[in-house]
Amino acid sequence: MERIVTVVPEDGLHARPASKFVETANEYDADVQLGRADSDDLAPAASMLAVTGLGVSAGEDVRLVADGDDAEAVLDALEDILSTPEAEH
Amino acid sequence: MDVTDISTITPAELISLEEPPATKDGAIEFLLDLAVDAGRVEDREVALEALLEREEEATTGVGFGIGIPHAKTDAVTKPTVAFARSTEGIDFDAMDDKPARLLFMILVPAEGGEDHLQILSALSRSLMHEDVRENLLEAESKETVQDILSEVVA
Repeated sequence: MERIVTVVPEDGLHARPASKFVETANEYDADVQLGRADSDDLAPAASMLAVTGLGVSAGEDVRLVADGDDAEAVLDALEDILSTPEAEH
Repeated sequence: MDVTDISTITPAELISLEEPPATKDGAIEFLLDLAVDAGRVEDREVALEALLEREEEATTGVGFGIGIPHAKTDAVTKPTVAFARSTEGIDFDAMDDKPARLLFMILVPAEGGEDHLQILSALSRSLMHEDVRENLLEAESKETVQDILSEVVA
């Protein structure tokens, strides 16, 4: 299951949004990977180091790929984090 | 400024092979003092405040035994990366609970745009490789650390 989401938080996938993103990816029974929408490279969403390594900025599109029992639920939760401006967290 | 030139962003005096303090805040000050002693920081307090504010927001303990405290601040005039390592590891509040043994501090000027994120993501990407982490932990000289870092940001 996969989904393309535009990153809204001003800092991009960095600092608090990144931290929330990785925590959330770890909470569900699903294996989640992410990468830039225009790239085939995927990194594990449950690793802060990997997510930091992607260096995704605000306004970029990312692809989320989830596999497992909670795939849809985790994609919903992660999309919510990526679509919410930082101030509202 | 070319952020990929390691001799500019991490000259040898910004690398320490000495044991840093065992606490997160102590280690951050230790890294900062490398930069202060090298004459790269105009206002130590301003830089420290920026670094600690960033930690307050979300820890820079990214797991795999790595801590990357960083900040954008007017206290520096050029991108600066300091390095130290801890034998026992330091509790950096990482999600994987692994104590941080490899420590990098990134400071970039406030108007440095995305420089700090570029350095941060380049560092993070290469530190995902276990051999890079091992080589940094085992390096016996500052020059070796510099050589490894120059491949990181190349």
